[in-house]
Amino acid sequence: MSSSVLNRIWQRLRALARPKRLERDLDDEIAFHLAMREEKNRGAGIGKVEAGYAARRQFGNAALVKENSRQLWTVAAIETLWQDVRFGARMLRKTPGFTFIVVLTLAIGIGANTAIFTIVNGLMLRPLPISDPHSVTYLAFPHGPDNFDPNFSYPEFAEIRKETSDIFADQAGMIFGGLAGFENQGDGLTVDGKTEAVQTSFVTGNFFSMLGIAPFQGRLILPSEGTAPGADPVVVLGHRYWKTRFRSDSSVVGKKATINGRPVTIVGVAPEGFDGLTPLLTMQAYLPLGMATLDSNGKTDFMTDPKNRSLVVIARWRVGMNADKAQPALSLVGQRLFQQNSRADEMSTLHAIPLRPPGMTNPPSLLPRVARVFLILAALVLVLACINVANLLLVRATMREREMAVRTALGASRVRVVRQLLTESVLLSLLGSVAGLAIGVNATYAINALPLETELPIVLSFPFDWRVFAFAAGIALLTGILVGLFPAMRVSVKNLRGILHATSRGSTGGRQRLRSALVAVQVGGSLALLIVAGLFFRSLQSAENADLGFDPHNVLNLTTDPHQIGYDKAQGLAFYKELLERVRAMPGVKSASMASNIPFGETVTGDDLEIPGFQIQKNQLAPHAIYTAVSSSYLETMGIRLLRGRELTDADGEKASRVAVVNTAMADRFWPNQDPIGKRFFRTSDPKTPVEIVGLVQNSRIDQIYGPFEESFYIPNGQGSAANETLQIRTADAPDAVSRSVLDVIRSISPTMPVFGIRPMSRQVRGINGLLLFQLGAGLAGALGILGLVLAVVGVYGVMSYSVSRRTSEIGIRMALGAQPGQVLAMICRQGAALVAGGLLAGLAAAFAIGRLIRDFLVGVTPSDPITFVGVSALLAAVALLASYLPARRGTRIDPMDALRHE
Amino acid sequence: MAKDKDQSADLLQGTLDLLILKSLAGGAMHGYGVAEWIHESSQDVLRVEEGALYPALHRLELRGLLSAQWGASENNRRAKYYALTAAGRKQLAQETEYWRRMSGAVARILQTA
Repeated sequence: MSSSVLNRIWQRLRALARPKRLERDLDDEIAFHLAMREEKNRGAGIGKVEAGYAARRQFGNAALVKENSRQLWTVAAIETLWQDVRFGARMLRKTPGFTFIVVLTLAIGIGANTAIFTIVNGLMLRPLPISDPHSVTYLAFPHGPDNFDPNFSYPEFAEIRKETSDIFADQAGMIFGGLAGFENQGDGLTVDGKTEAVQTSFVTGNFFSMLGIAPFQGRLILPSEGTAPGADPVVVLGHRYWKTRFRSDSSVVGKKATINGRPVTIVGVAPEGFDGLTPLLTMQAYLPLGMATLDSNGKTDFMTDPKNRSLVVIARWRVGMNADKAQPALSLVGQRLFQQNSRADEMSTLHAIPLRPPGMTNPPSLLPRVARVFLILAALVLVLACINVANLLLVRATMREREMAVRTALGASRVRVVRQLLTESVLLSLLGSVAGLAIGVNATYAINALPLETELPIVLSFPFDWRVFAFAAGIALLTGILVGLFPAMRVSVKNLRGILHATSRGSTGGRQRLRSALVAVQVGGSLALLIVAGLFFRSLQSAENADLGFDPHNVLNLTTDPHQIGYDKAQGLAFYKELLERVRAMPGVKSASMASNIPFGETVTGDDLEIPGFQIQKNQLAPHAIYTAVSSSYLETMGIRLLRGRELTDADGEKASRVAVVNTAMADRFWPNQDPIGKRFFRTSDPKTPVEIVGLVQNSRIDQIYGPFEESFYIPNGQGSAANETLQIRTADAPDAVSRSVLDVIRSISPTMPVFGIRPMSRQVRGINGLLLFQLGAGLAGALGILGLVLAVVGVYGVMSYSVSRRTSEIGIRMALGAQPGQVLAMICRQGAALVAGGLLAGLAAAFAIGRLIRDFLVGVTPSDPITFVGVSALLAAVALLASYLPARRGTRIDPMDALRHE
Repeated sequence: MAKDKDQSADLLQGTLDLLILKSLAGGAMHGYGVAEWIHESSQDVLRVEEGALYPALHRLELRGLLSAQWGASENNRRAKYYALTAAGRKQLAQETEYWRRMSGAVARILQTA
């Protein structure tokens, strides 16, 4: 019988969804009748034409018949659906508290998932707008999981191109045999007398053609361009940048401009949606690779120097080729590169690394793994939400058991009852998903608006797209069906007579056990969420309290770049000299200095070193250290302590002998147990000139707020390059106060000098390279943890209340027989405690597992941090026990007489 | 469970429904067969306008009293076969009982008058 009911529902819906089919069926049925009748008439001796007429006459108005039938079907279909929805909505309105809690629970679960999925989608899943993105790959030397060395020198690039022409295909022009390269850089773009700092990408000529990208306006870089230093002075603007700076003005194409003071012509605009290949960063301008050699950063020989490695190499597979098939050939090429020019890590082999997910950034991106962790946490929240809703629906179904039984006894089919319950829970989950979508979209807006404290054109653009909506709606529907199906089935399978005859407090032990198990899972899941949140918080705490090695308070940073308006090195140094002199003389300024890089800033510079007397172990990287070119007074401004020797002064100029100040980490690594002062080392970028160590300073944080201190040294800025430098000012009072007068000083020295990144050091520390990600992680994990906690408390409270209400008469009897309230309390609490204990055990196991996943994102705390584990477990146990104590106490207040009479 | 608004409004309608249910008591038939059965078993006294049969069949199908299936007819045409469902059988029994009592009562009234 039930199958016929299902069949009927199906037919009605089909009639609604496929009106043509219904039409054809009606036609066929009537035609059949007429044909049969005509045949019979002919059998009675009437002529063919006459027989047809007679049949039609006997049938009556066929069109009217069809119309009546058609209406019957469609109206019935709509009515049934509408009836269910209306009844469901009425039931939900009748219990607004229940509806609110369920919708909120689902909204939280779905919202968290929508937000996190939107981010993951934006960062990792959305394919790049290039032709056949799956056949494009990076080349790199892996150093370990999620860690690659993606940089090649131009000669190495040429070598790879020569050796791999049978592996990689080119879409157009075979100049590079399917291989392209690019190098990102910050430069100054001057148009109509106004200079702005832009993120540029210097690309090999075939870059755009290999990716299969068509210009939005004008043209792109051509395959024939960029092969010779300084040739082809053209620039292509990124679409996003063209839109914001030039307000989508097409007349800008063809204009003369300068890049770092060198004349170029704007020849085109890249297509919308293409931001370059570097994850998160938007490229604002593209130039031919050859133009990079004109840079005043001392890179003039970069097209011939095999050790000047700054090119990222991408390749497109030839048809039928893939990473596995190409690996032997790639390994060979890698070995050749090693033979020709030593590389830091000779144990590694050349690998092809897919563009998405974007594991390829420098420094290597933790994004894919962070994303995975948060997807797991969000999924956990959703699971908890579903369990909660399932529990609530189970309670409700139990309370409505009699109603359902009565309806069934009165002739409602089982399927009809199931459908009713299903409609209700699907309705609930649709409401939940709408609310969840709103929460999720708002959360992503909030993330888009995060203060990144950086000058880089980082675009956290996570636009709403249909995939996210499909994801949320899918989760909602699945939740509704899964959650609704179970109680619905239980109600309908029940022995009706049992329910109708049983007293209202009839026991259903099986279901109680199920609900207890669900609550235990909830407690466990929420414990895992809370522990992860706790770990993130502890790690934020230790990052915040970490000894930075410098004093970020009362320091103002402000970056200028004389190189962007075409100053040469001497002009740049003269500019800085005058600027420093005048700023130091300003009131409220305690000290001022210049630095090539600032902690947690946009750039880090490093160099491979040759250190006389230092043995490189096998399998170890060549000695490497990061360095900062600084002016005099740097240590005073930054508040970095000098431990031995002297600091760098203005006397350490370009003509003086090369000197450096090293930090303790560098001294300990390369000159362990020795006095570093007076020791010498060589930089690979300038291998013939020895650098003498004149001072030793304490360790300080430079580009990572966590992990061991990096080996680093400081050189006098007179002996470095004069490109973009940051003026750092230590002030007596709030650092913002001096920024206006400093800007005036800069204007008066050089009116067109681009100035950017004006912000206090303390804010820099909280930016994207500093604490921001820790705060974000802790905040997100904390929010998920609190959601988990609330869900668990609601779950425990709900199941215990329910249990007490079921046992009213039992408790009444016990108390009538002399049980003390304390004993009753203990009995009920024991039940609650067992629930919580079981959940905690499961949760601890889950937390250990997740802790291992997030090990690398934790600072100053181990993934099995005992304080977090014990503290959070205790907290959750206390809260959960309280949630079971309250219903238990209500149990002890039961009046035995009332309880017994209840029957 | 489902309420049929037309039922009380139209006595003839009810009669037609009963006739259809009765015709199918012997087994599944297509619409034409039902029409023929009604002609034959009422010895042509009840002349149903044949077209009116179909909305009635569909209404009964929608109410779950009949189930329908497409199949091949005796002369190999595509035809829709109707059969009684369990609910249909129950309905037929109830209606038959009702009719017996009604007609009995009416007959008594007419005799005594």
